[in-house]
Amino acid sequence: MRKWSLLWPFWAILAIHGVAILIFVKGFLLTRTELPYFSHCSDVSQSPCFTPDSFFHSNPSVPSPSYATNFSRCWTNPAVNRIIIIVFDALRFDFVAPSSFFEESKPWMDKLRVLHKMASERASSAKIFKAIADPPTTSLQRLKGITTGGLPTFIDVGNSFGAPAIIEDNLIHQLVQNGKRVVMMGDDTWMQLFPNHFQKAFPYPSFNVKDLHTVDNGCIEHLLPSLYEDDWDVLIAHFLGVDHAGHIFGVDSSPMFEKLEQYNTILEKVVDVLESQSETGGLHENTLLLVMGDHGQTLNGDHGGGSAEEVETSLFAMSFNKLSASIPSEFGTSSCQLDSQGREICTSSIQQLDFPVTLSALLGIPFPYGSIGRVNPELYALGAGSMKLDGTKVGSYLNQSGGWMQNYVNVLCVNSWQVKRYIDNYTASSVIGFSDEDLLHTRSLYDDAMESWSHIRKGLLSNDDGSDNIPSLKRQIDAYSNFLASVAELARSKWTEFNLKMMTLGFSLMLASLFVHFLAIKRISKLCSSSFANEDCGTTFELMLSCFLVAIRACSFLSNSFILEEGKATSFLLATSGIIMLRYSIAERKHFLKVVIFLLLMIYCRFTIEVGLLKQADTSAFLKVYPSWVLEIASLLPGWTYVTEAVPIIALILLVQLLLKNVSGSQSKGMWQFVVYGTIFCYILTGVHWALENDMLHFVPAVEGIGKNCLPRIIYAIGLGQLSLLLFRQLFGEDKPLNCRKTLVTKTVTMLAACSPTVIILAGKQGSLVALASVLGGYCIISMDNLRHGGDGNDRVLTVDSLPVTQWSLFAICLFFSSGHWCAFDGLRYAAAFIGFDEFVLVRQAVLLMIDTFGFSIILPIFGLPFIVANKYSSTQAAKVESSLFMGLSQAYLMYGLVTAVPVTATILCVILQRRHLMVWGLFAPKFVFDVVALILTDVCICLATLYYVPHLSS
Amino acid sequence: MEMEKKEMASTSSTPISIPEAFFLHLISALALALAFWIAHYIFSTHLISDPSLTLFLILVVQSPIVILLYSRYRTDRHQCSYFKAVARGLLGLPAGAIINAFGAIVLGAPIGAQYFLKTLNWSLVMSLFNIVPSACVFGSSWIDWQRLFAYTKPIGTIDHMICIPAHGAIIGAWFGAWPMPLDWERPWQEWPICVTYGAILGYSIAMAASLVLSHQRGLQHVKRD
Repeated sequence: MRKWSLLWPFWAILAIHGVAILIFVKGFLLTRTELPYFSHCSDVSQSPCFTPDSFFHSNPSVPSPSYATNFSRCWTNPAVNRIIIIVFDALRFDFVAPSSFFEESKPWMDKLRVLHKMASERASSAKIFKAIADPPTTSLQRLKGITTGGLPTFIDVGNSFGAPAIIEDNLIHQLVQNGKRVVMMGDDTWMQLFPNHFQKAFPYPSFNVKDLHTVDNGCIEHLLPSLYEDDWDVLIAHFLGVDHAGHIFGVDSSPMFEKLEQYNTILEKVVDVLESQSETGGLHENTLLLVMGDHGQTLNGDHGGGSAEEVETSLFAMSFNKLSASIPSEFGTSSCQLDSQGREICTSSIQQLDFPVTLSALLGIPFPYGSIGRVNPELYALGAGSMKLDGTKVGSYLNQSGGWMQNYVNVLCVNSWQVKRYIDNYTASSVIGFSDEDLLHTRSLYDDAMESWSHIRKGLLSNDDGSDNIPSLKRQIDAYSNFLASVAELARSKWTEFNLKMMTLGFSLMLASLFVHFLAIKRISKLCSSSFANEDCGTTFELMLSCFLVAIRACSFLSNSFILEEGKATSFLLATSGIIMLRYSIAERKHFLKVVIFLLLMIYCRFTIEVGLLKQADTSAFLKVYPSWVLEIASLLPGWTYVTEAVPIIALILLVQLLLKNVSGSQSKGMWQFVVYGTIFCYILTGVHWALENDMLHFVPAVEGIGKNCLPRIIYAIGLGQLSLLLFRQLFGEDKPLNCRKTLVTKTVTMLAACSPTVIILAGKQGSLVALASVLGGYCIISMDNLRHGGDGNDRVLTVDSLPVTQWSLFAICLFFSSGHWCAFDGLRYAAAFIGFDEFVLVRQAVLLMIDTFGFSIILPIFGLPFIVANKYSSTQAAKVESSLFMGLSQAYLMYGLVTAVPVTATILCVILQRRHLMVWGLFAPKFVFDVVALILTDVCICLATLYYVPHLSS
Repeated sequence: MEMEKKEMASTSSTPISIPEAFFLHLISALALALAFWIAHYIFSTHLISDPSLTLFLILVVQSPIVILLYSRYRTDRHQCSYFKAVARGLLGLPAGAIINAFGAIVLGAPIGAQYFLKTLNWSLVMSLFNIVPSACVFGSSWIDWQRLFAYTKPIGTIDHMICIPAHGAIIGAWFGAWPMPLDWERPWQEWPICVTYGAILGYSIAMAASLVLSHQRGLQHVKRD
C-alpha cells in the first residue's frame, strides 16, 4: 500500500473538475478583456479617411499634414455644443412611445405626454427612438455600455476589485480629455464608474430600493438651476424612481404612474427652459436634449436578462437648433402612427451600442477606443442640421442632402477605421481574441469598403458636378454599415451568446467526474475488504438517507427561490438528519444531550442565516422583507451594545480554554504544543484587536493605529510561521509510528489551530462565535456517529459511513451562510480584505477575501475531517489499523468531495437549463461562480490535506 | 385467530379487530372533515384565510374524539382506569405540542409575535396526530414509546394504528414545507398552511396504509396458523 496509490484519485478528480469547469466557463461566462488604450485626436491621421483631397468641401489650400492639429475639429465636425442627458432608469419603451403603437392601451402608457407633443410638433428636430440594449440588462453593465460603446459581459477581465471604476476608454473620459465640462446628478453608480471625471457631481445613494424619492428629488433640485448655468457642456441627470417603483410595486401600480407623471412635469419644465434660451446667442442655442433609459423592465419590475421587455428601452432626442437636416428616407427606420389625439408621431429604432459613438461624433470628440457601434444616421442628423454647412461653397455642386451624406460617409469612414483598429488590437492583446476566420470576413468587408471609397473619392474630385454622386454615396454608406454590422454581430456572438456545445461538453465531463468519484470510493472499499476480509455492508438506511439529502439539495437548485434561500434549505436538511439522530439516540439511550445540543445549535444556525438573508434583502429586490423584529428588540435592550462587544471575547476565551485542555490532555509534546501555544497567543491578540476597535473604550490614537494594522499582520505572520513549521516537520520530521491514530488527531488539531486565528480575525467579531459553533457542531456530529455503532461494536469499523460526512458537509454550508455570506458578489465581505492593510494589492487582498469567504465553509471543515475517521478507530485496535485508518481517511475525503461535487453539477445543469432565465445574471451566474470556486478550492484543499495527513505507508 | 388473540392479550392487552380499527380511523377522518365544514359554514373561514382559527377548530373537534376513542384501547387496563387514560391524553397534548413546536423551530419555522398563535395551534394539532394517541394508549411505558418512535417496529393492530399515522403526519408536514420558499406568492405558502395540508394528507394516507398493513399482518397470522 503506497501513499500515492491512495492519493492519485484526488489529483485526477481535481484535474477533471478543472478541465470540465474551464470548458463550461468558456461557453457560459462570457469574458471580455478590457484594453487599456485610449483614442486621441491625433490618431485620426493614421486612418485612410483623411487624405487632404477628401476635404474638398473645406478649403483645399490648407496643407494636408498639419490639418489634424490645426483644424478646429478633431475626428468629426462638432455639431452640437451642449448635451443634456436625462437617464430614467428602467424606462420601458411603452412609457415613451404613444399607446397607439401597441395592441392594447395600458394604464402606464401615455404618461410622458410632453415627449409626444414635441415629437409631433417638431418632427424634424425631435424624435422618439426604441433603443435596444444588450443583455445583461443591469444598470451597472448598461451604464458601462452606454459610455464605452462595448458589450460589457458578466465578467470583464481587468475589472478592478471591489470598485467597479471603468478603466476602459469611454465617452466621459473623452469628454474630459477634450476639455468638455461634465456635470452629473442622481444615481451614485456614476460616481463608482467615474470617480474623478466630473466637474460637479450631486450623487445620491441608489442603495435602498424601497426609497423612491431621494435620488429623484436630488436630481430635480439641481437640474433646473443648472440649466441656467454656462459652466458645463454635458449634463447627466440619472433618475431612479421608475426602477425602484418597478422593483417594489411592479409596472402596473399607482406609485409607478405617479413617478411617470412627475417625470412628465419635470420634462415640461426642462423643455420650457431650453426653449426660452434657444435663440441665437442664447445659452442653449445649439443644445441637444436626450431622455433615455438604460434598460427596460418586465411588468414585475425585474431586469437583467435578455427578454424583449428588458432590452427595449427608449431614447428621446431633441435638438434646440432651428436648422435641421433632412436625411434620405432609406437610412431611417421610422414607423409613424397617429396618436390618441390624432397627431402623427414617428418612432425609429437605435441600438444602444451606437449611442456613445454617435454622441462623440456630434460633439466632435474622438470615439471611445473600444466602441463597436455605428454612428446612427437619424440621431446624428438631429444634431447635424446645425453643422455649418456653408451653402455658398457646398451648394455649388451638392444639394444639402448630398452634403449631409458626404459628411456622414466621412464619419462612417472614421467610424469603421476605429472599429477595425479595436478588433485587431483586441485579438492581438486579449486573453481570448476573435478567431481568424471570423476576422477574415470582416476584414474583407472593410477592405472592400475602403477601396470603393477611394474610388468614389477620386470620382468626386474629378467630377466637379457631384449631383450624380448621390447613388454612389449611398452605396458607400451601405458598405460601411455592412462592415460595422458584421463586427457588431461577431462581437455579440462572442460576448452575449452562449456556446451550448461547450456548455454541454463541460457538463458531461462533470458527470463523468462524478462517476470517477464513485468508482474511486468503490475501489477503496474493495481494497479495504480485500486486505481485511471485511464484508461490504451494502445499502444501509444511513447511506440512503445521505443520498436522499444530497439529491434533494441538488434538485433544489433548479429553482431560483431555493437558490435564494439555500442557507435555510440546507439547515432544514441538516436539522432533519439531526432529528433522525434523535431517534437513534432514544433507541440507544445514549448521547441524548449531545443530539439536543446539536438541535439547539441548528436553531442558532437558522437565526444567523436569517439575519444574513436580512442583510441580503437590503441590497436585492428579490426578497420580501423579513420582519426585522429581532434587530428591533436587540436595539431596544439597554445593555445590548455591551453584550455584543463582550460575547465574541467570551467565545474567544472558551476557544482558548478548549485548546489548553487539549494540550494538557494529550501526551504530544514539543513542536505540536508550540504551535498550539502560538495559536492561543493569536487568540489573545485578536481579542486585543477587537477591544481596540471598540468605540466605548477610548485609546490613544497611536495605540489604535497599531492595533488596527499591526495586530492582524502579526496574526497572519504567526499563522504562516505555524504552517511552515508544520510543513517543515512533515518534510524532515522523524515519523515515529507509535500510534497513528493519535498522531492523526494531533496533526489535525495543530493544523486547525494554525489556520483558525486568521480565519477568525478575517470574519470579524462574529468569527469567534462561528468558530465555537463549528467546534460544537463537529463534536456533536462525531458523537452522533458513535451512536449508530454502539450495537454492533467494532465490526463495521472499516467502512466510513456516509452520513457523518454528509452532515459535516451540510454543516459547513450552513456555516457559510450563518457567517453572513451569500452566493452573490455583494455577499462578499470586501471589508475583510482590508483587515490589517490599508492599501490595495490585488493578489494579497484577493487571498484575504478568499480566506474570509471560504474559511469556515471549506478550509476548516476539510482540515478537520480526520476527526470523523479517527473517532471510529478506538485506540485498542491500534496495531492492525494503520493502513486501514488511512484508507478510511481517503474514503472520507472522497465522499466529502462527492457530496460537494453533486450539487455543483446540479448547479451547472440548472445554469444550462435556465440560461435564458430572467435572473440568469442576477442569481444563477453568481451562484455558479461561487459553487465552481468552492468546488475547485475544496478539491485543492482535499489534495493538500491528504498529502499532509497520509504518511508514507509501509505495506 | 384464537392463537393471535391470546398472543395479543399476553403482549399488549386490548384486542382490536380490523373493522374496529377502520371505524376508529373513519371517525377521526370524519372529525377532521367536520372541523373543516364548521370552519367553512359556521365561521366562513378556511385554513388559508385564518389558519390559527381553523387549526383551533380542528383541535376542538378532534381532540375529544381522539382522546376518548384511543383511551379505550389502553394497554394496562388493570392498573389504569379509563379516566386516567383520558387524563394522560390531556396531559400528552401540551407536552407533545412542545416537542412538535421545538422540531418545527429547529427546521426553520418562523418565530415572532404574529406567528405565535399559528405555531401554538399547529403544534397542538400535530400533537393530536402523533403524540396524544400513544399517550392515551401507552401512558408512560417507555419501552412501547421506544418501540414505536425509535425503532418503528409496530407489533399489533393498535401499534400500527398509532405508529403509522403519526409518522405519516410528520413526513407529510416535512414535505409540505418544501413549497414554502418558492416565489409563487400564493397565500397558502405561508407558515403553517402548507405544512398543515401536508400533515393532514400524510396522516390520511397513513391511516389507510395502517389499515392495509394490519389487515395483511392478520392474513399472514392466519396463514401461519
